[in-house]
Amino acid sequence: MIHLAKRVIRQTLNDKRSVMMIFVAPLLILTLVYFLLGDSDYVSTVGIEKDAMPGPLVSALEEQDLHVVELTSDDAQQAKEYLKDHQQVDAIISFSQNSGMTITMYEPSTKGSKAVREIQAAMASLNPAAKVNLSYVYGTQDQSMFDSLGYVFLALFSFFLVFIISGMALVRERSGGTLERLLMTPIKRGEVILGYTAGFGVFAVIQAILIVLYSIFVLKLSSVGNIGWVLLTMVLLAVTAVSFGAAISVFASSELQVVQMIPFTIIPQVFFSGLIPLDLIPYHLGNLSYIMPIYYGAAAIKGVMVYGDGFLQIWGYLLGLILYSFLLYLLNTQALKKFRKL
Amino acid sequence: MDIVVSHVSKRFVQKQVIKDVTFAIPAGEICCLLGPSGSGKTTLIRLMIGAIPADQGTIEIGGVQIPNMNMLEKIGFMPQNDALYDDLSAEANLRFFGGLYHMEKVKLEKRINEVLAMVDLKEHEKKLVKNFSGGMKKRLSLAVAILHSPEILFLDEPTAGIDPVLRRKIWEQFQDIKNAGTTIIVSTHVMDEVTECDKAALIYNGSLIEYDSVTNLLQKTQNGRVEELFFSASSNSMGGASQ
Repeated sequence: MIHLAKRVIRQTLNDKRSVMMIFVAPLLILTLVYFLLGDSDYVSTVGIEKDAMPGPLVSALEEQDLHVVELTSDDAQQAKEYLKDHQQVDAIISFSQNSGMTITMYEPSTKGSKAVREIQAAMASLNPAAKVNLSYVYGTQDQSMFDSLGYVFLALFSFFLVFIISGMALVRERSGGTLERLLMTPIKRGEVILGYTAGFGVFAVIQAILIVLYSIFVLKLSSVGNIGWVLLTMVLLAVTAVSFGAAISVFASSELQVVQMIPFTIIPQVFFSGLIPLDLIPYHLGNLSYIMPIYYGAAAIKGVMVYGDGFLQIWGYLLGLILYSFLLYLLNTQALKKFRKL
Repeated sequence: MDIVVSHVSKRFVQKQVIKDVTFAIPAGEICCLLGPSGSGKTTLIRLMIGAIPADQGTIEIGGVQIPNMNMLEKIGFMPQNDALYDDLSAEANLRFFGGLYHMEKVKLEKRINEVLAMVDLKEHEKKLVKNFSGGMKKRLSLAVAILHSPEILFLDEPTAGIDPVLRRKIWEQFQDIKNAGTTIIVSTHVMDEVTECDKAALIYNGSLIEYDSVTNLLQKTQNGRVEELFFSASSNSMGGASQ
């Protein structure tokens, strides 16, 4: 087993693209996610018909973090046409006797939502009694989306990248004939799977340490709990990914076919990883998450990073990952019987 | 070690690939499995090494029924494709396979040097296999197969796609390995190669049409070319089909 693990390590190190995929790609994508989901310094632009609006509201709007553009009465009445021609304006506030205040936006988007939040803040400032303060058991009102969802990406990367590399390596082993040759030596079938797991496990440990340190110390992703548990979870998740990749490789005869299976194997797991709250998924489909390994990893990482959980709170998820790996190990050793009965 | 193949048959889904094949190879000889492409040579080799189970019949190597885990230590196998790790050097490939045979470090180092010299790749030992030519890969594949000094060596089309000069060289190496006491089973579709062997099993459509010493087989032909035996087998089967 140790010889196989060493070979996997040496072979992966000799393939520069695999090294980049394991160590550089997750940091690069995390950085992009950080900028995409992080705090934005975007200032919304709101169009108003100054004369038709109450003076205090105009003043309150001007005090918010907004660019206020003054519109003519015609432009305000033809708000949709104006927005089509002036896409730098995010929202137009218009007043009428019958329908009161109307906010018109170009399309439902986060840009529009930000403008609406500022308008609501302006209105709340006119009536302090209507002001609502939000407070949370975990997290704060002003934390960015990256802070809220960052843990999901830690789970996704530790699973996805190792899955791809190990799945492809095993397919290559089969298609190149080396698996048959390997199994004509006295190595046991279980040792083949364990050797692969140990070999990629080394990369998984280094990858997990890199990702966690980079997220917490460079991207300032907040973590309430002990990051040691996050590391352990990520390594267990990556070990599961190796077995998962091995199992999927049984059904693929080329590297391309591993890629073709991603929509069936990985994409559904992304949806059930915590990006979308499982309670919101209709028809109890959220329960499907229990058959997806990423769910266990993401739930444990969230527990530690967001709720400050320790081993006593996350052991069930870790056990889920270990059981998943063990079942896949049994499945994979059975699958190798195709190449050698013994 | 001798090999005894008794009434072995193998079917893949709809096709009967090996049909009731029986023959015995004495220890220390080179036996050639000769036949056109698709005749069942590779399947027969895979059955003999225990990679796939026979539907019927038995295979014994040195009196031990195959498949047998302990016997894998004594078998060397060179598959039809090179089956090497392209991202590793020649030396790393050998070191890896040597480790799987539990060879101790000092012995392994010595043996790696020996086999690399034998296949004339010593000066390329540090090169990655992906930079090797087809012929170099074949020779390295042979080196991997003989690394653990097997008592019995299975070679599946070892000279396919090899130029005549290198082919000559490879056959000389087979003779050296045989002279060291190893039994060699080599499949080929190159009819001329039969003269390099002690015995030959002629496989056609999954059946053993002839098995004898090469000298005797050549005496059965009119002009000393073994193809004649296939022509008569082919015309017999076509005649049978037309009836």
